[in-house]
Amino acid sequence: MSDAVLKLEKLSKTYTLGKRSVQALSSVNLQVNKGEFVAIMGPSGSGKTTLLNVLGCLDKPTTGSVLLDGVDVAKMPEKELYKIRKSKIGFIFQTFNLLPYLNARENVELPMEGTNIPKSERSRKAKELLQLVNLSGREEHRPHRLSAGEQQRVAIARALANNPAIILADEPTGNLDAKNKRELVTLLANLNLKQGTTIIIVTHDGQVAAHTERVLLLKDGRVLKERQGLHLAKKKLICPHCGSKMQVTDTICPSCQKALNTGGEKIVGT
Amino acid sequence: MGIVTRAVRNISRRKMRALLVIIALGFSMAIMISIPAGITANQESTLGLTENLGNTISQTQATINQTLTQIDCTLSSSMEGFGFTPPDMGNSSSMFPGGERPEGSGFTPGQFGNGTGRPGEFGGGAFSRGGTTPMNETIYSDISSIEGVAAVSPSLQVSEGTNQTISAPNGRTFTRLVPDYVIEGISLTSELVGNHPVLPTNIIAGRNLQAGDGGVVLLSENNTAFFDSEVGDTIEILDESFEVIGVYGSSGIEDATTLYMNLSDAQALTSNTGYITTITVFAENSNEVTEVASAISTLHPELSVTTGQQRLEQLESLQENYETALASAEATLAQTQSVAFQEIIVAVAATSLIVLFVMLYTVRERTKEIGTLKAIGFSNLTVMSQFMLEGVMLSLIAGVVGIAIGSVAAPALSGLLLPAASQGTFGSGFNLASNSGTAAAIAVTPQLMLIAMGAAVLLGALGSLYPAWRASRTRPAEAMRYE
Repeated sequence: MSDAVLKLEKLSKTYTLGKRSVQALSSVNLQVNKGEFVAIMGPSGSGKTTLLNVLGCLDKPTTGSVLLDGVDVAKMPEKELYKIRKSKIGFIFQTFNLLPYLNARENVELPMEGTNIPKSERSRKAKELLQLVNLSGREEHRPHRLSAGEQQRVAIARALANNPAIILADEPTGNLDAKNKRELVTLLANLNLKQGTTIIIVTHDGQVAAHTERVLLLKDGRVLKERQGLHLAKKKLICPHCGSKMQVTDTICPSCQKALNTGGEKIVGT
Repeated sequence: MGIVTRAVRNISRRKMRALLVIIALGFSMAIMISIPAGITANQESTLGLTENLGNTISQTQATINQTLTQIDCTLSSSMEGFGFTPPDMGNSSSMFPGGERPEGSGFTPGQFGNGTGRPGEFGGGAFSRGGTTPMNETIYSDISSIEGVAAVSPSLQVSEGTNQTISAPNGRTFTRLVPDYVIEGISLTSELVGNHPVLPTNIIAGRNLQAGDGGVVLLSENNTAFFDSEVGDTIEILDESFEVIGVYGSSGIEDATTLYMNLSDAQALTSNTGYITTITVFAENSNEVTEVASAISTLHPELSVTTGQQRLEQLESLQENYETALASAEATLAQTQSVAFQEIIVAVAATSLIVLFVMLYTVRERTKEIGTLKAIGFSNLTVMSQFMLEGVMLSLIAGVVGIAIGSVAAPALSGLLLPAASQGTFGSGFNLASNSGTAAAIAVTPQLMLIAMGAAVLLGALGSLYPAWRASRTRPAEAMRYE
């Protein structure tokens, strides 16, 4: 547990709405290690998005520290923060947030702008990333000509553009149908497995969370409990129910026919 | 693919919006360039006017001062303005060698008013010259014996041109001579040529007429163009050959069309042998001018007698008219400039406000995009530059459109927006516009275009500064929450 990518200590965030102040996060401690696949779950208003925004340097905590790749970003001014966002973080949004006037390749190239990667190299890398998310041949399509699932895959490619230390996904499957949802989760799981990408995903979908290694349950701005997801088991490619071998993409164990989306019995106390 | 590409694509993505903005801005820009163009034209008009009037008045004054001793005697015409009328004295048949007069030659009182002089032909010795009614030379030989008369210069002035028929509103038609040139025959005696201003003085080519000259002419600059000739050429005047001996420069507002020759040549040429149209009397000194003039009037009551003193008075009243006209022209110009200034301020404000509101709207509409850009690591500066660039590019396109509209519609627009330029005809019969040549053309110069482009960029930048700044200050977390 020494190679922590992200370490939160006594993190609190208070919003002031007029005369009322709302405690969105209170004293959150969390460590995410390199190569982990973490889900943050919780009901509406539990502070999921706030936590993700603070992790992604989009929002600043009221108190506490955020160590990202060994750098404390909590007190960093905006003119430094954007560099951290560019180089260390990849974002995936619920509404994809692709720029409508740019094609898929250009959207993927966008984060590389202002880096010292040469132009031809940017284009080559964007194509490579689009290939990784199974979008070869659609590089020159603008978002409106892509399906929701395809758009989100472009967004994933964009998030990977600068080889970030961590990928933050905010409800990435919220706007997708069941088939696309499954595909997307599989894609993220594969990235985590094969490329060792650290991923933190905010979701209220248990099925999605079940594919991760760790699930954090947030309530009223606190980490209520933490449990283990099924992803760890998948890493070993063994069914947690019967112990037989299985594929990464399987959602139902081929031998015991049990669904792999529960995992509720393996709750780890916080 | 940098911020320029993105700005261009963003503009072209919302074609309708871009079009509306470009049209609105374009009109603002068109106004901005039309007004200075109109002002410049007005200024040039007024300046030209001032210069011309100044020159004319000083030249005329100099001429009159030079010829203070000069008295012009012409025969009063009984029916001014309507064709040729023989004087009601003497034997009319003997005065009018009818039938022998060549085609196209004629005396036209309507053209050259009696006594008051032709508008626009002051100076150069042409002031008040040219009575038009022929009179028998011999009848007036007694003038030279009046006491105080130093010299008498008989001269003959005949206009040559084409007859034009004019229909009057009452159904009658009149024939009017449109003159090509005026023949002036001067008695070339050494006494006159040597001592009195009977000939033009500013010779620009060849030489002046001399005593005893015959078969030669002195042309004005205009005449050389009409006859297509220069000094030394032989030209045909009413089928007779004359050698061009010299050319004199024109002075005054209009270019003179009078050519000078020996009196006897002129009389023979125009079949007016023995006839003259003007007797110019030179008094021995300026104190005697009035006495000499009244003596002439007593001797020949049918003559219209004008002295230099009277001409000077006429000029002074004319000068007053001019000064009033000039003052009013200057006042109009000042008023025009202040109106123009206000209009330009309004146009500038409108342009900046249009850019401001459009860009504010754009920033609001694209809050989420701004959030996304910031989330994936765009700096405030980059975000700000992108929105500034968009505003500037929009204004730049609008500037081009505005210049295009302005170039075509500048005269109409400035006519619409500015008070009427001072181009009226004044009581004295002087048309100011025609005096200053044609009214200066309202044209959009390249410099003005360049200034307008600069203004477009500046106003675009100014108008998008605040929206762009707001965009860059958007907190990404809040932008992401914005739907």
